[in-house]
Amino acid sequence: MNFEAVIGLEIHVEMRTKSKMFSAAPVGFSHEPNTEIAPLDMAYPGTMPVVNKQAVINAIRVANALHMSIDHTLYFDRKNYFYSDLPKGFQITQQFRPIGKEGYLDILDKNGKTKRIRIERIHMEEDTCKQLHFLDYTLLDYNRAGVPLVEIVSLPDLRSGTEAMHYVEAIRNIVVYSGTSDGKMEEGSLRCDVNVSIRPYGTEKLGTKVELKNLNSLKNIEIALDYEVARQTALLLSGTPVQQETRRFDETSGRTVLMRLKTDAVDYKYFCEPNIAPIHLSDDFVNTAIKTCPELFDAKKERYLKLGLNPTDADILLSDIHMAEYFEKGLASSKSAKTLANFLIVEVNGYLNKANKGISDFPLAPEALADVVNLQEGGLTHKQCADILNYMLEHGGNAKQAQESLHIVMQVSDDGAVLGFVSQVFDANPQSILDYKAGKDRAIGFLIGQVMKLSHGKVNPAAVARIMAEEIKKR
Amino acid sequence: MNTLDLSLNEIHAALVEKKVTPLELTQEAIKRAKESKDNAFELIDEANALAFAASLKGPEKDNVLWGIPYVLKDNFSTKGLPTTASSNILNGYVPLYDATVVSKLKAAKAVMIGKSTLDELAMGGTGTTGHLGKTYNPWDPTHQRMIGGSSCGSAASVCSGIVPFALGSDTGDSVRKPASFAGLVGMKPTWGRISRYGLFPFAPSLDHVGFFSRTAADSAYLLDVLAGRDNHDSTSSFKPVEKYESLIGKPVKGLKIAIIKEITDSITNQALKASFAKSVEALKKQGVEVEEVSFGRDLLESIYATYIVISCAEATSNDANLDGIKFGPNYGGKTYQEVMYNARTKGFSELIKRRFVIGSFALMRENQDVLFLRAQKNRAKIVEKTNAILKDHDFIYVPAAPSIAPSFSAASDKLSDEYLIADNHLALGNFAGLPSITLPLTLEEGMPIGINFMGRAFEEAKLYQIAAAFESISGLSNLSIRNKKEGNL
Amino acid sequence: MKEITMDVLHDAANRLLFDMSEQEYQTLYEEFKILTKQMEKIGKIEGLEAYAPMTFPFDVTVDYLREDVAETPLPRDEALKNAGSVQDHEIKLPKVVG
Repeated sequence: MNFEAVIGLEIHVEMRTKSKMFSAAPVGFSHEPNTEIAPLDMAYPGTMPVVNKQAVINAIRVANALHMSIDHTLYFDRKNYFYSDLPKGFQITQQFRPIGKEGYLDILDKNGKTKRIRIERIHMEEDTCKQLHFLDYTLLDYNRAGVPLVEIVSLPDLRSGTEAMHYVEAIRNIVVYSGTSDGKMEEGSLRCDVNVSIRPYGTEKLGTKVELKNLNSLKNIEIALDYEVARQTALLLSGTPVQQETRRFDETSGRTVLMRLKTDAVDYKYFCEPNIAPIHLSDDFVNTAIKTCPELFDAKKERYLKLGLNPTDADILLSDIHMAEYFEKGLASSKSAKTLANFLIVEVNGYLNKANKGISDFPLAPEALADVVNLQEGGLTHKQCADILNYMLEHGGNAKQAQESLHIVMQVSDDGAVLGFVSQVFDANPQSILDYKAGKDRAIGFLIGQVMKLSHGKVNPAAVARIMAEEIKKR
Repeated sequence: MNTLDLSLNEIHAALVEKKVTPLELTQEAIKRAKESKDNAFELIDEANALAFAASLKGPEKDNVLWGIPYVLKDNFSTKGLPTTASSNILNGYVPLYDATVVSKLKAAKAVMIGKSTLDELAMGGTGTTGHLGKTYNPWDPTHQRMIGGSSCGSAASVCSGIVPFALGSDTGDSVRKPASFAGLVGMKPTWGRISRYGLFPFAPSLDHVGFFSRTAADSAYLLDVLAGRDNHDSTSSFKPVEKYESLIGKPVKGLKIAIIKEITDSITNQALKASFAKSVEALKKQGVEVEEVSFGRDLLESIYATYIVISCAEATSNDANLDGIKFGPNYGGKTYQEVMYNARTKGFSELIKRRFVIGSFALMRENQDVLFLRAQKNRAKIVEKTNAILKDHDFIYVPAAPSIAPSFSAASDKLSDEYLIADNHLALGNFAGLPSITLPLTLEEGMPIGINFMGRAFEEAKLYQIAAAFESISGLSNLSIRNKKEGNL
Repeated sequence: MKEITMDVLHDAANRLLFDMSEQEYQTLYEEFKILTKQMEKIGKIEGLEAYAPMTFPFDVTVDYLREDVAETPLPRDEALKNAGSVQDHEIKLPKVVG
C-alpha cells in the first residue's frame, strides 16, 4: 500500500514594526524584561486597542505577494481562552474576516517542478508573553505581549518535507524582503506549526491529522516531516490507527515526540471585538501599500540574473537581506555586478565567517568595496585585488592607499607588449628552446622566469604562458 | 441655601464674584461626604482634592466647571488612586493612568473628591452588590429603599447634595434608572460621543459614559467638556463637538414626541400614571406634538433576555483579565490555573459568577446560534424598530421606571419571569446607542419618580432643549434632599 | 444548543476558573430555565433570520489607523507594582507545564 502525505502549514510571523499591534509600546526585542509595556499589554482594566497602521500595510503587502484578495474593511474578533501568557484572557485576532484570503504560492517540488500551493487566509493578530521556565517556577515577560503577528494558513496541498521546506523558505523571503519581519526561525520571529496526515494514494478522504511544533529551522521541517510520515506509514501498515496528537520535534534524535493527545478542539467562543470600530481601507491606501512595498526576493533575483549573475550566486546573496542590500548599494559604484558579487561571496563571506560577524558589521562601506572591484575591472588581477582588500581590512584606508602600500602595479597583458618580451627572451636563449623541444619541460619555466625578470614582474603570467606556447611552435 | 446646592451656573457666578472659593466648596463637599450615612463612597480623596482646589488660579470666567467638586464612579481609572469597581478582585489595585474623562475634567479644573460605590463591576441594577454592601437612597432616611444601580454611589452623592455632578456609566440603564429613583437629571449620550478609555468595560457595545446633575443645563455643560474624539478609544466618534446648551430656551413648538403604548399601559402605579398624563398635556400646551405608537409587546418583552445574553457574553470576556496575576489579590496556588482559580473564586461575588456562566454559555460554539447570535439579531430588530419610530418623531418619551425606588426587600438581582416592560425599556437607548436623558417628574410618598426622553443619534442639543423645557413644566429643576420641592405635576 | 444540567454548569464555571456554592448553581439553573425559555420565544418570532447579528448600534466605520510611532513605555517598577508575585523584574507563577 502506498501512502501520500497531506501537509498543511500555519505560519506565524512577528512583525518588525516600531510599536505594537494595538498599543504604542515599542517593539525592540529588548533583552531587559518588562521594559516595553503599555498598560494595554498587561490588560490593565479600561485600556483599549488601537490598530497600528504599519502592521496593516505589512499585512497588505504580504497578502498581495501571495496573490490574495484583500478585504477593504478591517474587522477583529476575540479568541477567548485562559493561559498564563495571555494577559487579557483573550487574543484579538481576525477569525471571521481575515484581511486576505484565497491566494497561492508557487514552489518547486522535490523534482524541481513548479507546484502551486493554495493559501487559505492571512490575518493579523497579537503575540503573547514570553515565559521563562525554571525548575519549579515560571517568569513572565510582557515585552512580547501585543507584538503584531501575521498568520498565514495554507491548504493541505504540500506532499513532502521538501515541499514544506521550500514553502516556508518562500514565505520567509516574502516577509523578510517586504520589510515585514526579520523572519528568524531560530529566534522565534517566524514560527511554523505543521499539520500532517497520510492517506492511500488515489483516495480523497483525509487521514488523522498530527500537529508538529518546535520546528525552528528549514532543515528541521524537512527532517521532522520525513520522520513523521514514516512513523504514520509504519503505524498504518501495522494496522494501528494514527492518533490525533500534538508532537514536538526533538532535534537531537531527529524524531517527533508526543507532547499531548488532542482532545476535542478547543472552543474559543469567537465573537466580534466591540472595542474596535470597523476600519475602511480605501483603494488608494491599499494600492499605495502595495506600490511602495520594497522589492521582493523574486524580483530581485530576476534583476540580478539580468545583471549577469548566475542563479546560485544570486541565491547566496539573497539568502541574507543585509548582504543583498549591501550588494545593491555597491552596484551603484561598481563597474561589474558579477565581480562585485564574486568578491562578496568569496572574499567577504570568508572574512565574515572567520570573524564570526554579519555583513552589517563589515568594516568597509559598499563604495569602498566597489573601488576594489573597479581596480580589477581596470586590469589588475583578481589576486592583486584580493590582496588590496585584505590590506584594507587589516590596516584601514582606501583601495588606492592599499595599492600604493603594496606597490601593486598594473600587469601588462597587452599581447603586443608580451610578445615583445617573449621574443627578446627567445632570442637570448636559443638553447632553452632546443631543450624544451627535446622534452625538457623545466625549460619553459626558465623562459617564463626570464620574461618576468625582464619585465620586472609586470606581465600577466597567464598571458605570457599563452603567447609563449604559441610562439614556441613558430621557432 | 449653601452655594454647593445651587446649579452650576449659580455656583460659577459665586466663584467669579469671589463670594466663594474652590477650596471652600471642596471642604464643604468633603464634610458632607464624610457625614453621609448612605454608603456611597469607596474612598474620599480628601488630601488630593483639597490640594488641587487650593492650587487653582482663577476664576476662569468662561469655564463653568472651574473649581467645582464632583464624584467619580469607582469604575473609572484614576492614576495613583485605588480603583476597585466595587469588587474584591480589584482590592488594592492602583491604576497607572487616568481615564480620558478624568483627564478632561482635571483640565477643566473640576475637583474630584472621591470614588463612588457601584454594583460590582457595574453588573447590577440594585446598588446592593458592591463589595461594601448596600448603598442607600438618601431620599429615605430610614434606609429601606435602594437607589438602584449600577451607578448607586454617584446618584446618592448628587441627590444628597454632596456634589453638583457625578460621573457614572450606563450599559442597560445604570445612570438613567438611578436618576429616576434619585430625582436627578441622568444623561447617557450617543454611543461613541464620550471616550470610554479608562472606563472598566462591562459590555463595550452597550457601555456609555453617563453623568448625574440636578439641572438640564448643567448636564449640557458637562457634555461640552466630556464629548469628543479620543484616539485611545477606537469607537469614539469623529463628529465635531457642539455647544450642547445652544438650543435650551428655544421654543419646543413643533417638536414631535412618541409615547410607547405598551410601556405606558404597563404602568400600574396610579400616581405615576396621573403625573405622566399631566406631563403629556403640558407638553402639548407648549406646542409639542404627541403621538401614541406601538412598539410591539413581544419585541419589548424580548429586551430583557436580549440584554442579559449580549451583556453577559461581552462581560465574561472583558473580565477574563481579572486573574490575580497582574493586579488584585494573589492567593497563590500550585499551578497557574490554581492561582487564577483562587483569585476568581474568592474575588467575584456569586451574582457576577452566575452572569459570567450565562455569558460564557451563550458564546459556546454549539450555543451561539440560539443564544448569542440570536440575541444580536434581535438587537438589530429592536434597533430597527426604534429608529423607525424616531424617523417620524424627535423623541421617544417614557416613564423611566414603573415606580418609586423599591425597597430592598422587594428587589432581587435574580433573573425573573415577570415581564416588567417598564423596568427594562431604557435598554433601548443602549441597544441603539441613542442619547437618552432621565428627568424628575414628580414625587410620591416623598420619593422621586422620573421620565425619560430618547432622541436621535448625536442630537444631544435637541435633547437638552426638550429636557430644559420639561424642567419648567415639572418645576423640579435642581431637586435634591436639601432642596425639596413639590413640583407641578 | 447544549442541554443544561448541573454538570454542564459546573463545567462551565470551572472553565472560567472559578467555583460557586451549590445553592448558587441551583439559582443559576433556575435562571437558565427562564433565559432559555425567553430566548426560545424570541427565536419563534417570524423574520428574525433576516437580520444580521448586530455588534455596533449604527454604522461606526472609520478610516483612522494609528501611526506606527513608539511611545515611552511604562517604567518597569510601575508596570509591576500591582502584581502580587514578582521576581527578577518579572511576574512569577508556579511552573507552567504544557
